[in-house]
Amino acid sequence: MIELTKINRAEAFRYMGLREEPPENISSLADECESRLISAASPKFHWVYADISENSGDVVTLSGYRLVLRGKDISEHLSGCFGAALLCATLGDGVDKLLRTVQAEDMAKAVTVDAFASTAVEQVCDIAEKEIEERFAEKFTTWRFSPGYGDFPLECQGDFLGAVNAMRTVGVCVTEGGLLTPTKSVTAVIGISETEVPRKHRGCGTCSIRDKCNFRKNGGHCNE
Amino acid sequence: MNKKEIFKKLLADNEFVFLDGAMGTMLQAKGMEAGGIPEMLNFDKPQWLKEIHGAYIEAGAQIVYTNTFGCNRYKMAETGKTPGEIIPEAVKIAKKAADGSALAALDVGPIGQLLEPTGSLAFEEAYDIFREQMIAGEKAGADLIVCETMTDLYELKAAVLAAKENTDLPIICTMTFEQNGRTFTGCAVSSMALTLEGLGVDAIGVNCSLGPKELEPVVAELSKWTHLPIVVKPNAGLPDPVTGEYNVTPEGFAESLCGLVKYGVKIVGGCCGTTPEFIKAAVGALKKMKHVPNVPEIISAVCSPAKTVVIDGPRIIGERINPTGKKRFKEALKSDDTDYILGQAIEQAKAGADLLDVNVGLPDIDEKAVMVKTVKAIQGITELPLQLDSTIPEVLEAALRVYNGKPIVNSVNGEEKSLETILPLVKKYGAAVVGLTLDEGGIPKTAEGRFAIAEKIMNRALSMGIPKENIFIDCLTLTASAEQEGVMETVKALARVKNELGLKTVLGVSNISFGLPNRELINANFLQMCLSHGLDLPIINPNVPAMTGAVRAYRLLANIDKNAAEFIEAYNAAPMTAIAPAAMSAPSSASEKECTPESLIAAVCGGLKGESGSITKELLKSHECMKIVDEMLIPALDKAGADFESGRIFLPQLILAAGAAQAAFEEIKKSMGGSKGVSKGKVVLATVKGDIHDIGKNIVKVLLENYGFEVIDLGRDVPYEDVLNAALDEEVKLVGLSALMTTTLKAMEDTIALVKSNKPECRIVVGGAVLTPEYALKIGADYYAKDAKATVDAAREVYGLEI
Repeated sequence: MIELTKINRAEAFRYMGLREEPPENISSLADECESRLISAASPKFHWVYADISENSGDVVTLSGYRLVLRGKDISEHLSGCFGAALLCATLGDGVDKLLRTVQAEDMAKAVTVDAFASTAVEQVCDIAEKEIEERFAEKFTTWRFSPGYGDFPLECQGDFLGAVNAMRTVGVCVTEGGLLTPTKSVTAVIGISETEVPRKHRGCGTCSIRDKCNFRKNGGHCNE
Repeated sequence: MNKKEIFKKLLADNEFVFLDGAMGTMLQAKGMEAGGIPEMLNFDKPQWLKEIHGAYIEAGAQIVYTNTFGCNRYKMAETGKTPGEIIPEAVKIAKKAADGSALAALDVGPIGQLLEPTGSLAFEEAYDIFREQMIAGEKAGADLIVCETMTDLYELKAAVLAAKENTDLPIICTMTFEQNGRTFTGCAVSSMALTLEGLGVDAIGVNCSLGPKELEPVVAELSKWTHLPIVVKPNAGLPDPVTGEYNVTPEGFAESLCGLVKYGVKIVGGCCGTTPEFIKAAVGALKKMKHVPNVPEIISAVCSPAKTVVIDGPRIIGERINPTGKKRFKEALKSDDTDYILGQAIEQAKAGADLLDVNVGLPDIDEKAVMVKTVKAIQGITELPLQLDSTIPEVLEAALRVYNGKPIVNSVNGEEKSLETILPLVKKYGAAVVGLTLDEGGIPKTAEGRFAIAEKIMNRALSMGIPKENIFIDCLTLTASAEQEGVMETVKALARVKNELGLKTVLGVSNISFGLPNRELINANFLQMCLSHGLDLPIINPNVPAMTGAVRAYRLLANIDKNAAEFIEAYNAAPMTAIAPAAMSAPSSASEKECTPESLIAAVCGGLKGESGSITKELLKSHECMKIVDEMLIPALDKAGADFESGRIFLPQLILAAGAAQAAFEEIKKSMGGSKGVSKGKVVLATVKGDIHDIGKNIVKVLLENYGFEVIDLGRDVPYEDVLNAALDEEVKLVGLSALMTTTLKAMEDTIALVKSNKPECRIVVGGAVLTPEYALKIGADYYAKDAKATVDAAREVYGLEI
């Protein structure tokens, strides 16, 4: 079990579109939302390793897995990699319940909890990524690439969860519409290579919301 | 012997009963790929399955699970085969392998989709999916049903009902717990035990997730809560993420299992990572041991999945969710305003209620439908167990069915008709019940008369198999102003029921003071009297500090609240509760402040809810309603909106401003007597079919409402036809649709097409993270809203209002 004791506030405020220090009333709102989020969350992750049996440039097949990774972007992401870690992380169902509750209380709290939760699930992924890096300390790893980035289709979520045995290991499912539940959940692929991989920033080119991203609008980048 | 008797005999004849080990692990060892569909192997590799079942039986398994864990129509859809086709094959293979030397259990795992409210699968649909499996299993000759690896008590309840209502097979249920004693959805061990035992399953326990050693605290906890045979089917420890190998050996596994025998474990097997060697080792090790019968303490308790409330002293039942005598509540029921009811639930929970009574009875609504919707919605936002309150048996049954956990039924009484209709429901769904001490002759005047009815209700309930700890008696409060001599009769009856019958007591307190001045004083004193005579469940308004305080003080003084821990937490935690921002603090007195249009605008822009309400109240004395709306509230919201657009304030502040405007609107509504005079037009809002992220839509709703629009909120995952029907029925000019994901944009497009083809003049505004103005246009929307404010602008344009 992992525990989150602090949420990266600067990041959460950035998700909410805030560019400077938050005003007093928002700061105290954030205090409440942060502590309620931390007690509602039951963060966990699970990952498995897979050998890459073939990377055609369009499709990556994994040895012993039904899951097939399709798309030019994921293929490029994994180019030069001999294997991949398949990761699923979640804050758990308690956060969905908290989101429902605060929506009935006050929508201002709801958007704040929502932003904090989005930040928190990334923090869980960071912890997982660290564990993966440590396990492959002699090797090199790529950054996280998730279904929905670029042309890596969301439709693979079902098989992805099957590969990680996510229903049993972390309690994550996918709806018929292809959405992960609990909603604050993430799946991601981390490539593993014998040689150093250029850790370029996650580019906007592969991002599905680049046309309307607030960070971009303001001349920034979400990975800064 | 029928199958239930066969299962009982198996338990009676053996010290321990052995299940098989993992199926998936064995199939992968034979070459199935990870994430593959094991159920198809019933056709493709029956020999594999025969070998696996055979190996487990040889190792000592007396029950083998069929290879049908995920064999439901949702998961099997992609195979082109139905559960009705696959299950007979799987059962046939297991039975053949068992050849009479073991029982074949129909294995039923989770559906693979989360249920509402987190997921999009409705309880009723889950029931239907399970029903198909259960019927096919029994027809194919399965000897029992096993529901395993469940993490959602609600889903498991659907499965158990499906099994019990459609088959005569015995049922084993095991859930998967984490080390903290909770399932992934937060279900506690106690709640599982209370709920499943109430529903009448035959054995319960735990499987998967952890190794036998780590499961010890979970099994220890379970033994405190159940009289049923306990099942343990742990993993072979934890898997290595790279090699996939588990870290516990067969010997270590067996040794740890032996350590669980003292908790009353009766049925054992293995889950992920275990093989026939593990079962063999377990059989060998347990052979030397004796089963230790589990004798749990008898406890009165009710629960939701996450919270078990033990009635070990007075517990507060909040009475506020009830339309009787409440104009605003009635209006909320009629206008389908679930948010208002949820607000009542949250307020009472914060004030200190332990349980909530839920009554939605109004003559001119569909009480059954509203009850089901309300119970589901309240359970979606609070952990407090509920007391389901209706005079109509069909409403109670519908509520009992969809309730997640063990509720209280309010109520049965001494009338023959009531006993005959209500008690069977209480028994079937494993609930607790309130028994009112009245019958065909009305409410007896004397304590003796009420005691006699209590005894009658108790005896009838006991004869139907409802245990004593689930019967709560209400000796009925009469109004002191009308029947002063009756007050002490209630108290006396209550004391006798408690002491002589040994039943828990419940009482609605507030009626005592009806028609008298200083009601709070009477109520608090009456409550004290009743508590000291043995009242367990006062039904009160927890928002009145004197009432909640009386119960808390009693718990402390009666030495129930050990070390005054609860009391101190409630009253010493002021700094904790004071973290609410200034914007949401209690209304400050407006009379000390200037009450001018300017100060109202400033209060709204600053997000000051309390001030905004109190200033409005003052202004209403000298200004017309519409003037306040049009000349103060709307301009204030416009200013906040403009500040938001220019980046001077950000989303939470905009919403705080909207909330402050809402407080002003509430005052205006009150002064207008609830008429809809402020409506600027109706807007239908929906998050499209397949999409469950509705926070964006809800933000839009808040803003629209505070600009004076009437919002018909259809919720999330809304079928196309529902959007159309709402648009037609309500004669709305604007429909707003939200979609978060690229995968649900198609649903948005189809919804637009349906609305436009049936009501071409209806305008449509769309929004959502992945939408672009170009795309919005392409799918036929009239407006693209980049944020909530833009939706308001669209609505104003459509309804011909100034922008």
